Amino acid sequence: MSIYKSAVKRPITTLMIFMAIIVMGIYSVVHLPVDLYPEIEFPAITVMTTYPGASASDIETNVSKVIEDGMNSVDRLKDISSVSYENLSVVTLEFQYETNLDEASNNIRDALDLIEKQLPDGCEKPVIFKFNSSMMPVLFYAVNAKESYPGLEKILDEKIINPLNRVDGIGSVGLAGQPNRVIYVNVDPSRLDAYHMTIGQIGNVIRAENQNTPSGNVKMGKMDYQLRVEGEFTDSRQLNNIIVGTSDGHPVYLRDVATVKDTLKDTGLHERINGQRGLRMFVMKQSGANTVKVAREVKKHLAELEKTLPPDVKIETIFDSSDFIKDSVSNLSQTLMFALLFVVLVVLAFLGRWRATFIVALTIPISLIVAFIYLYISGNSINVISLSSLSIAIGMVVDDAIVVLENISTHIERKSSPREASIYATNEVWLSVIVTTLVIVAVFFPLTLVSGMTGVMFRQLGWIVTITVVTSTVAAITLTPMLSSKLLKLQPKKEKPSRFSYDNTFLRALNALDRGYEKAIKWSLHHKKVILLGALAIFLSSMYLAKNLGTDFMPQTDESRIQLKIELQSGTRVEVTDKVAREVEGIVHQKAPEVKLISTSTGSDDSGGFISMFSQTGSNIINMMMALDKPSQRHRSVWEVAAALRKQLDEIPEVENYSFTFTSGMEASNTVDVYIYGYDFNTTSHLANVIASGIKEIKGASDVQISRDKEKPELKVVLDRDKLALHGLSTASVSAMIRNRVEGLTATEYREQGDEYDVIVRYSPKYRSSITDLENISIMTPAGKYIKLKEIGKVEEYWSPPNIEHRQRERVVKVSVTPYKTSLGQLAGQIQQKIDKLDVPTGVMIDVGGAYEDQQESFTDLGLLLLLSLVLVFLVMASQFESFKMPFIIMFSIPFSFAGVVLALLITGTDLNLVAALGAVLLVGIVVKNAIVLVDYTNLMRDRDMELYDAIRVAGKSRLRPVLMTALTTILGMLPMAISGGEGAEIWRPMGISVIGGLVFSTFITMIIVPVLYAVVSKKGERDKKTALRKKFIFMDKK
Amino acid sequence: MKAVFIVYNQANTERVEYMLDRLEIRGYTQWVDVRGRGSVSGPPHLGTHTWPEMNSAVMTVVPEEKVEQLLEKVKSMDAINDEVGVRAFVWNITESV
Repeated sequence: MSIYKSAVKRPITTLMIFMAIIVMGIYSVVHLPVDLYPEIEFPAITVMTTYPGASASDIETNVSKVIEDGMNSVDRLKDISSVSYENLSVVTLEFQYETNLDEASNNIRDALDLIEKQLPDGCEKPVIFKFNSSMMPVLFYAVNAKESYPGLEKILDEKIINPLNRVDGIGSVGLAGQPNRVIYVNVDPSRLDAYHMTIGQIGNVIRAENQNTPSGNVKMGKMDYQLRVEGEFTDSRQLNNIIVGTSDGHPVYLRDVATVKDTLKDTGLHERINGQRGLRMFVMKQSGANTVKVAREVKKHLAELEKTLPPDVKIETIFDSSDFIKDSVSNLSQTLMFALLFVVLVVLAFLGRWRATFIVALTIPISLIVAFIYLYISGNSINVISLSSLSIAIGMVVDDAIVVLENISTHIERKSSPREASIYATNEVWLSVIVTTLVIVAVFFPLTLVSGMTGVMFRQLGWIVTITVVTSTVAAITLTPMLSSKLLKLQPKKEKPSRFSYDNTFLRALNALDRGYEKAIKWSLHHKKVILLGALAIFLSSMYLAKNLGTDFMPQTDESRIQLKIELQSGTRVEVTDKVAREVEGIVHQKAPEVKLISTSTGSDDSGGFISMFSQTGSNIINMMMALDKPSQRHRSVWEVAAALRKQLDEIPEVENYSFTFTSGMEASNTVDVYIYGYDFNTTSHLANVIASGIKEIKGASDVQISRDKEKPELKVVLDRDKLALHGLSTASVSAMIRNRVEGLTATEYREQGDEYDVIVRYSPKYRSSITDLENISIMTPAGKYIKLKEIGKVEEYWSPPNIEHRQRERVVKVSVTPYKTSLGQLAGQIQQKIDKLDVPTGVMIDVGGAYEDQQESFTDLGLLLLLSLVLVFLVMASQFESFKMPFIIMFSIPFSFAGVVLALLITGTDLNLVAALGAVLLVGIVVKNAIVLVDYTNLMRDRDMELYDAIRVAGKSRLRPVLMTALTTILGMLPMAISGGEGAEIWRPMGISVIGGLVFSTFITMIIVPVLYAVVSKKGERDKKTALRKKFIFMDKK
Repeated sequence: MKAVFIVYNQANTERVEYMLDRLEIRGYTQWVDVRGRGSVSGPPHLGTHTWPEMNSAVMTVVPEEKVEQLLEKVKSMDAINDEVGVRAFVWNITESV
């Protein structure tokens, strides 16, 4: 028994099966995590090697190069780059997408074992570091405080960070710019000299005084007592009264030679929240944890924990990456609901019956819910890609059900019982329904085979559409006949339909449309040349216009946040940088009222800190994070705000360079990178500068950055070895002494309430703030004599050489540019033109890459995909029609859909990016489906012995509605996507636009061109089938 | 005894079966999914892509007095709708085992 017969005969079983699917689907929906994109792991592993004391160029030749060469044997390696710093080599290995990184890191470890012997002796063991997107903080908080500021670190540590770390899914919670309590002993060197003392001595005395020592036990009577010597300081003021030595028989107290300050650590990192002192707290999730869930948990716990904080401590959100995800997904879900509504309305308008509409509409949730089951089983998430896929599918899943339902209705109108009509009507159409589904699958299934980044993004789309469309077909030949047999009834024809009834409104309009179309076909069949030439002209002119189309990689999203990095003259001290930062903050407040929170950090933290992994820091660098109002609450996008700020920044003289970034993710970088390969620093640096200034002239080029750091002014102490030897000193001892005096000597730890604070002895700042001061540093010789530093050496100012970058084992400088109001492709084109005009010295090679390169790769992938889809579609159609000619007629409509895409993108001013291009690929399936319906029916009419032109006319007239319906459901399904605004709309809007444009255009063209072409290619034999047949069976005509 | 051969549009299956039951005709032979074409009008029922509809047929051997009644019912069934036809042909049975 066939499937549809079983379904109709056992309605309860059928219903139960679909109920089971729905229940499983709902379970999946509830348990599915929400994310922005399908999980993309940036496949990179970093090998870090320290080689203390080596200069950048030593590191380059002895470490970086050795490691780079050793990595040749590692599988699936795509790109290798390195940066050689002073003391440190960082080699980054980029793998092809979807490489198993555990395996890769094992391979790297093996390769490192082989080359370990070639590394220099003093070099430490290379450390393998797997970069993981979970290391990107998911939440940023700004913490402000007034009275509690000095103790903020301790308060936060106890009351917030420790409890939060226990929350499931949180990787770690970190702080940046937190105040550290420290006790400084600021020594006056002149007094020290006068008393014949050194920093080291003072440090030793302090250390010796700050001690608690267990000293055995004493037995007295019946008791046994522990004996202790208690000397630890209980108050930092006690330090003042330590006797550090004697002079002429008088004790010298510490207060005589130094001032003791119990204060906050002088840090090079200054954090300001809206100009106020504050610090940043950031939350990292565990690898694999869901951002939205983690953020929700953190917020829930934080709301509780905040109550335990002192009242002056305020925690504000700077950035919550889950906000954008949640908003985008809910925005898109809303779009999906509108699409659903529109599709149902279209079906109702065409069918004109509530029950029929209900039966057809029911296939939508069932098909879509199966997609959720797929997502749940395959471990995916609800994300922008999966929801867009559903939007695309929503218009397609009703088609099959409509075909089946229409045929059942026809049978019922012939007064068959609904039960029989359902069975036999389905029997008549089920095969052709499956074939059209195959065409759709032929287009979408290849998507699941794409590799690389494009593949990661669009594999889901391929699967989801394939699965939902297949499900819809299954539902159409089981559930639809079953429900029709139960719900559909023969409607008695009304004698006089009322003025506003369906028959008098929609039906009349549709009938008129049918007649008009019939006339149009008649005309075009008699003006074939005009039509064909016209079509050709339209196609060629749109392809000509395509030249003006900008190309981009991924759409940029407005996540309501701006990150700004400002560089001042290198070597600028942090106080000056701070002043500029305040000035910039003022400008932001004035020019960008949309910005509700600015978190500024200037300078760098000497103790490293996690945050330095995400942003370049330095005393001359300002990093600003701005949180903006939600897109719906402001008129300007983040890019427009940034453009307004750029103008202002250009006018600040101290600002050397700046760059804006708008996203947290690294996958969305949107720059054109120019790589300049060459060994000689001067040549390549010069060239980089020439190129950078050339690029700055291009309209639309913004944030031009050169990757090689500028040379930085530094001071170095050059010691005279002869004189050192004369005084019995060595470089090591002198450098230790200088370090003690300038950086400070950590003498001991001061303990208070279980926490330890450093006691640091050093020269008072005023005695170490000029070259002369440094030269006057007193050095004690082993003989106990005091000499000045200038006696044994000199302090020189010099320029420290830059870091050395490698890419593909060659020295490289990168100039990166971000497009503004222009497209990536156009910008890259213009840059290439500039470079072509340059006179490039021998030995230097210039290469344009970056996101532009990714774009080129992805477009190539998509091109191949399109080709594969076309081949598959051809195969399916050729076998369906048993003809090589018919597929060509049908595929003729494809170029026009592309023409429509081009026009739609040009009119709306959208760039052709990966998402829009994907929309164009998807069109192939939908457009071809329309043409198939038309050609198939024409064939049918021909087989039923109609004359060629009559067949074409009749087929056109009868298939107009199904074609319009398919097109309209898809167009209206995509419309909410195309016109939606708000969070994340940038991602899917291009797809909506390209599909709608392509479909509107190609539907119109198809309905005229395909019939005309059909007439053109039908040869004599086909036109007069009777004569042809007669020739085959001549025995009948023999006399 | 007469043999009545009824060929009908598949969509009439339930009606035919019910009719035989109502007329208390117990014995019959049924061919499901048979192909055919009417002599006068209507689309062929060939089960192909071009002509997707199909017929079924029933042969029943009934006493002579029931034939008239049967044909009458067939006629009224055929009258329900032009496009869903049913035809009956009668011939003599000379012997049976």
